[in-house]
Amino acid sequence: MNILESIIQALQSIKANTLRTVLTLLSISIGIFAIIGAGTAVSTLEGSFNTQLVAMGQNTFMIKRTPSVNFGNSWRKYRNRKDITYQQAKEFKYQMEGISLVSLHNETDGYTAKRNNFFTDPVVTLIGADENFFVVKNFVIETGRAFGMSEVTSSAPVVIIGNDLVVQLFNGENPIGQFITLKNQQFQVIGTLKSQGSMFGRSLDAQAVIPLTVFSRYHSDEWTSSVEITTKAYSKEQLAEAVDESIGMMRSLRNLKPWEDNTFEVETNESVSSQFASFSNYLQVFGLGSGLISLLAAGVGIMNIMLVSVKERTKEIGIRKAIGAKRKWILFQFIIEAITLCQLGGLIGIFFGVLAGQGLGALINTEAAIPVNWVIFSIVICTLMGLAFGSYPAWKAASLDPIEALRYE
Amino acid sequence: MSNPLIHIEHIARTYEMGGETVHALRDVSLDIFPNEYVALMGPSGSGKSTLMNILGCLDTPSSGVYTFKGLDVNEMTDDDLAEIRNKEIGFVFQTFNLLPRATALKNIELPLIYSGISSEDRKERAIKALEDVGLGDRMLHRPNELSGGQRQRVAVARALVTKPSIILADEPTGNLDTKTGIEIMKLFQELWSKGNTVILVTHEEDIARHARRIIRIRDGKVESDTINPNPVTSFEIP
Ligand SMILES: Nc1ncnc2c1ncn2[C@@H]1O[C@H](COP(=O)(O)OP(=O)(O)O)[C@@H](O)[C@H]1O
Ligand SMILES: [Mg+2]
Repeated sequence: MNILESIIQALQSIKANTLRTVLTLLSISIGIFAIIGAGTAVSTLEGSFNTQLVAMGQNTFMIKRTPSVNFGNSWRKYRNRKDITYQQAKEFKYQMEGISLVSLHNETDGYTAKRNNFFTDPVVTLIGADENFFVVKNFVIETGRAFGMSEVTSSAPVVIIGNDLVVQLFNGENPIGQFITLKNQQFQVIGTLKSQGSMFGRSLDAQAVIPLTVFSRYHSDEWTSSVEITTKAYSKEQLAEAVDESIGMMRSLRNLKPWEDNTFEVETNESVSSQFASFSNYLQVFGLGSGLISLLAAGVGIMNIMLVSVKERTKEIGIRKAIGAKRKWILFQFIIEAITLCQLGGLIGIFFGVLAGQGLGALINTEAAIPVNWVIFSIVICTLMGLAFGSYPAWKAASLDPIEALRYE
Repeated sequence: MSNPLIHIEHIARTYEMGGETVHALRDVSLDIFPNEYVALMGPSGSGKSTLMNILGCLDTPSSGVYTFKGLDVNEMTDDDLAEIRNKEIGFVFQTFNLLPRATALKNIELPLIYSGISSEDRKERAIKALEDVGLGDRMLHRPNELSGGQRQRVAVARALVTKPSIILADEPTGNLDTKTGIEIMKLFQELWSKGNTVILVTHEEDIARHARRIIRIRDGKVESDTINPNPVTSFEIP
């Protein structure tokens, strides 16, 4: 059958009803854009997230007041949880000694570091940490040294700074031994961190690590007073046991009765990934949902255009029937036309959807993935749309009486 | 005599129009044999086109019998009728009825597309048909780039390209000036002398004189059905 002729015909009917066709194609494009855009965003975030998870290190798990990824209304469930206090955390660390390596830390955002006339952007994350932090969290010291247990217990005003601070405050000078100011408090730089790049568009080098004792005394407020515990099991085999042990210990430290739920979160690499997966599913479903609604509206538009096209070409249909076109030929011609229109809108949507995904990727400094399966899905959806919304007009065309159609002017 | 190509018996066709019944045809019976050249004559509104559409399987009678090559047309489905129109019948209309956006060649290929001929065969046959009507140099012109006479030649080529059993022409010269009208009549004369069956609707005596048999219709009935004793065979341009 002559597909090419039908495709050309479809393109000609765009010329014939420009405004209506453009509006309809636009809504198809928006629908497909939403689907592809969400698909690209999810693939891109997943790629970036997985890279970071691998870097976070094996055999570690965290205990914290609330989960790291949460969305929707779930925060209600967590807001009444009591803090993990420094005392509790210290007791936990003490009891876990010999079972696994435990690090305590806490952090807060939005600091500006200063030195003489130099300022950083107000995006520095201030981390209060203990002496195990660097090993457990894979924070590699580039120059200088980390702080030890005695500096933590004595609340020494020392700091280890990330690469952004080195660049913005020291301008090529050696930072070791120099002093910087963080919220009116002077710290001596004793080490620098190896650059970690960025994640989700945020630099991971705008960091300053100080002893947890100093942090707790001067820099935590009611929002950031809960300590996070990171535990590194000595081997993969010991991980599960260490997790069980930790849960039991935390429950008793927080005086939970056997029938009460945990009032803290235990997060392993896997559990964080699965939280992230449910977030990305949410995004995907949202994109899909809004996309499909827009496509439904577009479908009605396509049907309308096709009905007008059938009406305007009644005479042509009559001619085709007079020279022997069977029903299936007329059906086929108009359905191909509808599918062509849908595909055209779809391709525009795919193009801009992928472009938006690439834009997002550039924004957060990661390689954007092209969601091949969503592209295929979109093409299939457009074909089905053409079929679904082109069928009625095509059926109308195929059912025209040849004489009546020939007489139509 | 051989079997008739077309046999109709007591055919009637009525239309319902705003609660009124219009009798376009009342009780028409006819036989048409292979290689006849027939003119259907009659005043406007007498039912010529209605009869032609029924003979061409575009329309079906309200009552009566119609057999085409021995097959009962009343029993056929819409797709069967489409197949007959495609393979057995070549239509030529007063208003040409070409697809405006397609080239002459494409217009002629169309019936071949519908009969499932491969694209090379199709093209070859369409080119041949265009050459036969003297338009070999106009293949890629669209209808609006052709004169009325040339358009009607394209329409004749389209009617011929499937090698139908019968050519039906409904006032084929009605939209043409006398000179081009005569050219088209010359074409029909040639077709007939090569063995084709031609039925021509007209209300002009000058045109009807070319046919070998003249059937006159009035008020939906056959008024007379006579052999033309001296058909015109010369085509002097006046
Ligand atoms: N589709 C139709 N609906 C109603 N009346 C029709 C229709 N087609 C033809 N007629 C009527 O039938 C009669 C015969 O028409 P037609 O066959 O076209 O005549 P002719 O071709 O001889 O001029 C006319 O009175 C015409 O008005
Ligand atoms: Mg007529």
